[in-house]
Amino acid sequence: MTDIRKIEEFLYDEAALLDNPDLDRWMELFTEDGTYWMPVAEDQADPINHVSIFYDDRVMMEVRRRNYVHPRAASKDHHTRCSHVIGNVRTSGTNDHGDLVVTSNQHVLVYYRHEQRVFGTRVEHHLLPDGDSYRIRHKKVTLINCEAPQKSLTVYL
Amino acid sequence: MTYTNEQIGALVEPARLHRSIYTDPEIFELEMERIWGSAWIFIGHESQVPNPGDYYTLNITHKIPVVMVRDRQGEVHVLHNRCAHKGAKLVDTRCGNARAFRCCYHGWTFNTDGSLLKIPNEGGYEGTGFDIKDPANNMQKVAQYEIYRGFVFATLDADAPDLKTWMGGAIDCFDNLCDRAPEGEVEVAGGVLRYEHDCNWKMFLENLNDTMHPMVTHQSVVQAAEDYIATLPEDAVDQRAEAEIIPPFGASYEVFEDSGITGFEFGHHYDGGKTSIHADYTVIPAYGKAMVDAYGEERTKEIFSFNTHNTLYYPSLTIKTAIQNIRVVRPIAVDKCIVETWSFRLKGAPDEMLQRTLLYSRLINSSASMVGPDDLEAYMRIQAGNADTSSNWIEMYRQFGKDQELEDRTVGGGTSDLDMRTQYGAWRNYMTGAYRQGEAA
Repeated sequence: MTDIRKIEEFLYDEAALLDNPDLDRWMELFTEDGTYWMPVAEDQADPINHVSIFYDDRVMMEVRRRNYVHPRAASKDHHTRCSHVIGNVRTSGTNDHGDLVVTSNQHVLVYYRHEQRVFGTRVEHHLLPDGDSYRIRHKKVTLINCEAPQKSLTVYL
Repeated sequence: MTYTNEQIGALVEPARLHRSIYTDPEIFELEMERIWGSAWIFIGHESQVPNPGDYYTLNITHKIPVVMVRDRQGEVHVLHNRCAHKGAKLVDTRCGNARAFRCCYHGWTFNTDGSLLKIPNEGGYEGTGFDIKDPANNMQKVAQYEIYRGFVFATLDADAPDLKTWMGGAIDCFDNLCDRAPEGEVEVAGGVLRYEHDCNWKMFLENLNDTMHPMVTHQSVVQAAEDYIATLPEDAVDQRAEAEIIPPFGASYEVFEDSGITGFEFGHHYDGGKTSIHADYTVIPAYGKAMVDAYGEERTKEIFSFNTHNTLYYPSLTIKTAIQNIRVVRPIAVDKCIVETWSFRLKGAPDEMLQRTLLYSRLINSSASMVGPDDLEAYMRIQAGNADTSSNWIEMYRQFGKDQELEDRTVGGGTSDLDMRTQYGAWRNYMTGAYRQGEAA
């Protein structure tokens, strides 16, 4: 049986890099073909033939991490701070790539632009075992209100 | 205060705007009545309701609910979403399919063309003078609705000019969008993005053809992309191609100046024409072939050579012909609106074309993109800054006096404020009743 405690520790460590966003280090957790996806529709089949809120591969992560700390990005004049609370962590075995499929519920508080917002999310990680830890091949964050109008979201959840 | 037409007219000078048009809730209510209650408003595309009984709901102004529905005969209607009995909103889901619309309260039921089908326990009305056949008991049709190449518009104003007259020369951009499909038709595909904007609805429209902002507002993301591209080895072709979507947003003043701006009656305008920042996207070979097979070499070249960036159909809709996406602004309050982004499939084109459109919509127009949030940041600061009373005026003087008046349009430099002057000329005509009285300036 997979050590669920070890997986939880990995999710906590990842979330810590997003709570006080450090996108440079967060990005290092991903495999070279890693992707981050936030669909805009419940049960959205794929990120290519349907629009998404986020769908970043390493190329867009590279642009985003540089933009995030650029002094001329006006929307980033306001710092973003988050608080991830992670629960209901479960594994459902491995997928066709041999990656471990992990699901969790994450409630994320985001403070940005004088306002605190609440995001209820269902998260799926595809994790590649790597030594004592993991690397992320794919992370999918489905907002429970994904189809609702959203305000600017300046960081990954 | 209650504004007279003179007082409203004084808020918009030929090259200056009074800040209260962004901040005064009373002005906002008047805009909803006189602009949004009078102009043709974009409702949706008929491909959203392909089958009889399919419907899609929205508000045509900040609060008047309507439903676009295809009836059993296949005709598309835009109906007021109101039960004739107690006035309840009949359909409160975004979209779906219905054999009939049944009110949740007393069960009055309406056909999909709006006509009253049935009242439960009808006998209670016998001999009371109530006439079930009175058309006032139907779901009411919106005053006028028309479809142009699949795009459904409606107006609450029975006296508004017909849709084609109202679009004027800006109709060319609709034609160009649809002509870019080998089959000459487009359809909605790949879902919608809804982006909440804490700002007045007009700021979004002003930004579309504001060609003086990209190199400032979007400097960070352009530099981030360029810095990353510079780190790539020669053979990183795929990474380079992906990151190169972004730098055109930092195009120079000269590039934008050359693209030109064209304005029309009723506030419509576009930038580009011969060229635009979207002109250099490569044509996917299979798509190019499908186009030539459908239209021939010469006509295909003609279609691709009309390159606009954004075309505004004032006040609700803006389209990108070369990208095949549209954005729709839905006002909520004086300081709040929703911007919707819809993507379109070119019928007869390979799937890659839709995938490219969706990629663009996501990278540029999503609430989590690296472009839209910097634009919105500027709008929110305009909203906040214009609460200040140290000055009441906002200028739109760039290249003022140099616009060229042609028969049905006005043309000017690509970095001019012609786009601003065009839309605010229409604002003034709608708001003072000048269009209605045939006195439009």
